[in-house]
Amino acid sequence: MATTTATVSISSSDLMPGSSLNISASSVLMKTGITTSMELMEMGNAEIVEDYEAQLFADGPATDNGAYFIYICNTTTEDTTYYVEYKLHETVIGRLYAGDWMFVPYNASDADAEVEVKGLIGPNKIEYAMFKTAWTLPAAES
Amino acid sequence: MATLTPTLTLVSTDASTDEINFSVTDSLNITKAIISPSKVALSTGDLTLFAAASYTKSYVYLKNTDDTIVMDIDFGTQLSIELGAGEFAFFPWESSGNILAKSASGTPYIEYAIFEA
Repeated sequence: MATTTATVSISSSDLMPGSSLNISASSVLMKTGITTSMELMEMGNAEIVEDYEAQLFADGPATDNGAYFIYICNTTTEDTTYYVEYKLHETVIGRLYAGDWMFVPYNASDADAEVEVKGLIGPNKIEYAMFKTAWTLPAAES
Repeated sequence: MATLTPTLTLVSTDASTDEINFSVTDSLNITKAIISPSKVALSTGDLTLFAAASYTKSYVYLKNTDDTIVMDIDFGTQLSIELGAGEFAFFPWESSGNILAKSASGTPYIEYAIFEA
């Protein structure tokens, strides 16, 4: 049983006059439920060209109602105006401009539980990771 | 204009034969509204944590402060983020739909913050 720990810190010295901001949170990535830690993961890099919508993590083999953790970072350095749009469950959540990242616990609650990334101004380079409660590789074509 | 610096670190010595140990940080310009870390009790009914009409592009921080109860976060109709006990999320939000939150049971507290770019 592997142990992976995620920590976020969010800080600012000038957001509020006379008071600095320092948020810190940490958690061990756990499978569905709270007693067993994550063992399965998938990590990689990809280029997302403009107007191309990629399915970063597909539905299907994922266990319905399973716990996942998703990390996506736009590692593009060429132009700060480049960005991708990301979707959870076919719902647009936000944009990742060059340098931006997101990390969320994700619920693969049905067969349409894809994670998609679309290049809108680019090309963009992204790195990503998904930690999974359960996973089966796609079956070979016969 | 203020600068917000979010940093994520992922560490594991045994997730694979190659240790995971990486950190990513960003420097974000915050020019509009902020809600600094606050807490609210959830129930099993949807609570509108952030109304889309009130924000433009923003960065959202959420944390489940409870030890056992799971929280569901969705952006309209689909359950998307599930915060287990003690888990957190940080993500850019385009405010295309409300952010709704509810608990699986009881009245656990969610910690939240939003920073509008």
